[in-house]
Parts: sequence; structure tokens; C-alpha cells
Amino acid sequence: MKNTSKIVNVMVPLVSVLLAFIIGCIIIAALGANPITALQALWKGAFGSVRNFGTTLSRATPLIFTGLCACFAYRCGVFNLGGEGQFIMGAVVCTVIGTQFNIEGLPAIILCLVAGTIAGGIWAMIPGVLKVYRGQNEMIISIMLNYVATLFMGVLFTDWMRDGSVPQTVAIPDASRLTRLFGLRATTAFVIAVVVGLAVYYFLFFTSKGFQLRAVGYNMTAAEFNGFAVKKYFLASFLVSGMIAGLGGSADILGTQFFLINGYASGYGFDGVSMALIGQLHPLATMLVAIFFAALRVGSTTMQAATGVPTSVSDIIQALVIVFTVAGLAMVKLPEFKALLNRIFSRKEVA
Amino acid sequence: MEFVTNLILASVRMATPLIFLSLAELYSQRAGLVHIGLEGLAAIGSLTGFLVSHITGSPIVGVCAGAMAAILVNMIYAYATVTLCAEQIVYGMAINIFAPALASFIYRVYFGAGSELVQVPLMTNLSALLGINADSFIAKLFLEQTLMVYLAYGLVIFTAIYFSKTKSGLNYKAVGEYPRAAATLGINVIGVKYIASIICGALAGIGGAYLTTCYTTTYVDGNVAGRGFIALAAVIFGRWSAGGVLLACLFFGFCDALQIRLQVASFNVPYQFFQMIPYVATVVVLAIIGMKKAGPKSCGKPYRKEER
Repeated sequence: MKNTSKIVNVMVPLVSVLLAFIIGCIIIAALGANPITALQALWKGAFGSVRNFGTTLSRATPLIFTGLCACFAYRCGVFNLGGEGQFIMGAVVCTVIGTQFNIEGLPAIILCLVAGTIAGGIWAMIPGVLKVYRGQNEMIISIMLNYVATLFMGVLFTDWMRDGSVPQTVAIPDASRLTRLFGLRATTAFVIAVVVGLAVYYFLFFTSKGFQLRAVGYNMTAAEFNGFAVKKYFLASFLVSGMIAGLGGSADILGTQFFLINGYASGYGFDGVSMALIGQLHPLATMLVAIFFAALRVGSTTMQAATGVPTSVSDIIQALVIVFTVAGLAMVKLPEFKALLNRIFSRKEVA
Repeated sequence: MEFVTNLILASVRMATPLIFLSLAELYSQRAGLVHIGLEGLAAIGSLTGFLVSHITGSPIVGVCAGAMAAILVNMIYAYATVTLCAEQIVYGMAINIFAPALASFIYRVYFGAGSELVQVPLMTNLSALLGINADSFIAKLFLEQTLMVYLAYGLVIFTAIYFSKTKSGLNYKAVGEYPRAAATLGINVIGVKYIASIICGALAGIGGAYLTTCYTTTYVDGNVAGRGFIALAAVIFGRWSAGGVLLACLFFGFCDALQIRLQVASFNVPYQFFQMIPYVATVVVLAIIGMKKAGPKSCGKPYRKEER
């Protein structure tokens, strides 16, 4: 029975993706384009050449970070919806250090990444501390802080660090940028993201602290009863998830973005949440979903050029995947569904 | 003096969408459904309200359409959380991702990607409808408002009476407190939860549509700007009572109004710092009121008939 439930857990997102694509195709057809041509263009745009694949990986990089940020916090049972704010605070601190401190090259890169990580961690500690010591709803607070972070970033690129007439900051100097992988759009930031993902995976599933953290997330009361310091785990998971997002922000600035501008990182936080949920809070699955989302986005530009279907179709498909996956995962947990599965499998055994 | 009167008038205007959204949350939570997807419902309500009032030229029809659209989207939430017993927080989040994407897609398809900013006429004030010339402050406060403002305050009074004085209101509350006990008394728990979702969707849709039919003449992505979450905070701050929620909304509306007035006054401070005021105020308020738990007791828990 354990095996079937594992298979079901993998099947649900796959079926959801399929359903989302079917509805996506209906929308594309309704807009007067040929769905097959559109999907071909989508595929070609995302994976058609090594160059396009590099672009997909570079788009996936910030998403992997926010996805892992959400994943880590939820594993401990805290809903950190503030990935976006933490990501932005990392990016902000990184930009300030990278452009104002007159340092370049490897020392600058290391300092930027470390400072960005710390900034993200501190920003996440605000909802963490308020949840643990004031019993407050961490979701509302972390979302409010997203808006504050976005507005603070606005102060930098429109006022304090504005570069001439355009509302954006000075770019990171060439010497402090992350190197590209094989000349593609993807940079070492992607490597960092994968390493962080593997580290989270190892920590959660192969260390005793990770096991305790998951236990707190699975059943807080039982964990408390067993003498786990639940509050400490809550704070730690906020800190670490914020640090992951902050590292993501600084790596993205050094890797592909280079300067702060209006609308930067908008939506990354909620994207991270949906990737973690579709990946069922498994770090490696979350990373795969991030690459899938990035492929949808990169490919949809090619699709728009080829067929005139607006790129926001990919947003709809993405949104449908999460709507279907979450509903599907709830459905397979219903006793009726389990009974149905049992009947099907036992019938097979008889035959 | 003019600064103060303008501030008060703007507070009433800015509190109105929050009142609708918080009442939506209140009706949902009273039936045991925590709904963090109001932001999304308001987004779809806002887009539909804008689109329909653009097509028909009537903001009132737009508001009704916005309510309908949000009800439809909320039925997805209701089906998933009530019938499929999906986790409410997680599904609310899914609605938050799905509905704004849908709204922005519809806008782009209908108006084209590079189109210029489309504007719609705003709802007229009561004073203009009645042909009264409102020039004194009191007259402005009570007469120079759109019908939606009166509707919001009417709903607050109705809600307060409904939940404390009527039998049906007490039954409704029982579903949020002890659904199993409610069921033994013959209350249709699942039915109440669905009705709650319809009310919640309608109110959230109206709150969103207010933004495009009474407040600004245009629709932009993200125009709800966190109000769905501020409404959640208002429900906590207002301790789940209609009167408390009203006061909380007026407070948050005041913060929003203050922010706008300060921006207009333009000190030598980047305007973004003023824009932060409502969000920072929400965090500070939540931090101050601390951990007294007063919400409906079975909030967030799925209800299954057969389970014992």
C-alpha cells in the first residue's frame, strides 16, 4: 500500500500538468491559433537548442531559491509567504555592496553573497519572532513585509542610488559578475542553487536535526510532547528559509540581473510557494518544478512570436497546475478514493 | 484644517473596500473556513467589475458582475476545501496564484498587450444622484459618497445583528465552532459552508470591484495591493465581531489615506516610505495585540460527515 501511495503522489502532479495543458490548448484554440504549433514553439523556445536550454536554466535559478525557501519552512510547519521580500532584501544588500563599496572580483562576490544571505535571514526573522513570541499569524506578517521590501527597493532605484535619468540603480561591475556556464545564459548561480537544493535534501532526510524539524512540521503537539524545542525549530526554519531566499536574491543580481529596477522579483515569492506545493515539499521535486515553470516562461515568448498567443497563457497553465495538484492531493487522501484504489488493486490480484 | 478634513474623507473611501473584504473573511471564518485567497478573489472581482462597466457603461452592473465572478472562483475553493477536504491555507494560496493570473490574462486578451490605458466612468455620489450641493464637511462626509459606502456600513450593521440576535446567525456560528455538535442539532454543516463561500465570494468580489468602479478609473495588475491580507489582519484585530472589524478597517483605511495625503504633501522624503505605512501599521498592530486566540474554534479544520 505504501508503494501505491507513492505512485499516486507522483501521478497527481503529472495528471495536473496534463489537465492544465489540455485547458491551455483549448484557450489557445479559442484565441484562434493552432495548439499543436503553439506547443511546438513552446517546446522549441525552452529546450530547442543548448542556448535556449541555458536561458531556461537561468530563468529557473531564482525560482529554485524561492521554491526551496518555501519548501524548507513548510517542512517545519511554518508558512513563510515572505520569500519575495527576503529575496529582494538579499538583492538590495548585494547591490549596495557590489556597487558602492569600491571592491571588485572574487572578494566582492563572496561578500555580496554572504551579506545577501544574512539580509534575507534577518528579514525572515521578523515574522519568525512575532510568530513565536507574540503568537501572531506569520502569513500576514511575511506578506506585509514583502510589500515593505518592494517599496524599499523602490527607494533605492528611484532616489538614493538612482543612475541618471532612468529609474534603476548602477549595474554591478563586470569583474564582480558570476561566470557563465559554457557561454550560456545560465551562470554559476544555477550551480549554487543546485548545491543548496542538495544540501536541503540531505539535511531534511539524512540528518537527525532534519528529521526532528520534519517531525515538528508533521505534528507539532507530538513533537512538543517528546521534548523537542518547537519554538527553536520554528525560528531556525524561518532563519534558514530566509537565508536561502536572500542568497537567491544576491546570486540573481550577480548572475543575470546586475541592477535593481521596477518590477524586479515581482511574483517570485508566490511562485516559490506554488512550486514547493506542487513538488509536495520535496526539495529535489521542487527544483524540477522550478525548471518546468521557467521552461513555460521562456518558451511562451517563442510561442508568442510564432503564433501570436500572449505569454500570459503560460501563467494560466502554471496557475491551473497548482489548483489541480492541491485539489488532487486532497482527493487521493479521501477514504472513498483509498477504498476505490484498494478495490482496483485487489481485483487485479484476483485476476 | 483642509488637510484633516480631506484625510477623514479619504479614510472613509479607503476603508470601504477593506470593510467588504473583512466581512467576506468574517463570514468565511464563522463557518470554519480560513480563507487567505481573498487577494485573488478581489483581483478577479476588480477585473470583472472593470470590464463589465467598460462594456455596459454602468458601474453598478460592473459591481454585480464582479461579485458573480468572485463567487464562481470561490466555488473552486469551496469544492476543494469542503468536499475534498483540502488544506484551507494551501488552497487559499492556490486561489491567490490562480485568480490574479486569470484576471491579468483576460485583461491582456481583451484589450491587447500594447494598448493604451483604458478608463471607465466612476460611480456617481449620492449627493449628485439627489441633486444636492454638498459643500460643508458634514454634508460631504455623509452625502458625497458612492452607494457602495452606504452598502458597506449597512452590511456591517446587518452582520452584527445577524450573528448576535438571530437564530439562523447562531446556527451559522455553531458550524464554525463545533460542527459536529451543530450537525447533531440538524444543521446542514456542508450546506452552511457552501453558503458561506457564496457570501464570501460575493463580498470579496464587491470589494475588488470597488477599486475599479469607485476608486480609480483604470485596472492594473496587482491593484488589490495586499488589501486581501490586510482584511485578514482586520478580522483578527476586530476580534471576529462586525463592530470590531469596522473599527479595524477604519484604522487601516486611515493609514492608507494618510499615506496618500502625505505623498501629495511631498516632503523631501522618497514617497515609497509613505506607501509603506499601511503595511507597517498592519505588522505593528498584529505585534501589539499579541496572542489571545478568539477565532472560531474549528477554523481551518476539515469537516467530514462520516468520521467519528
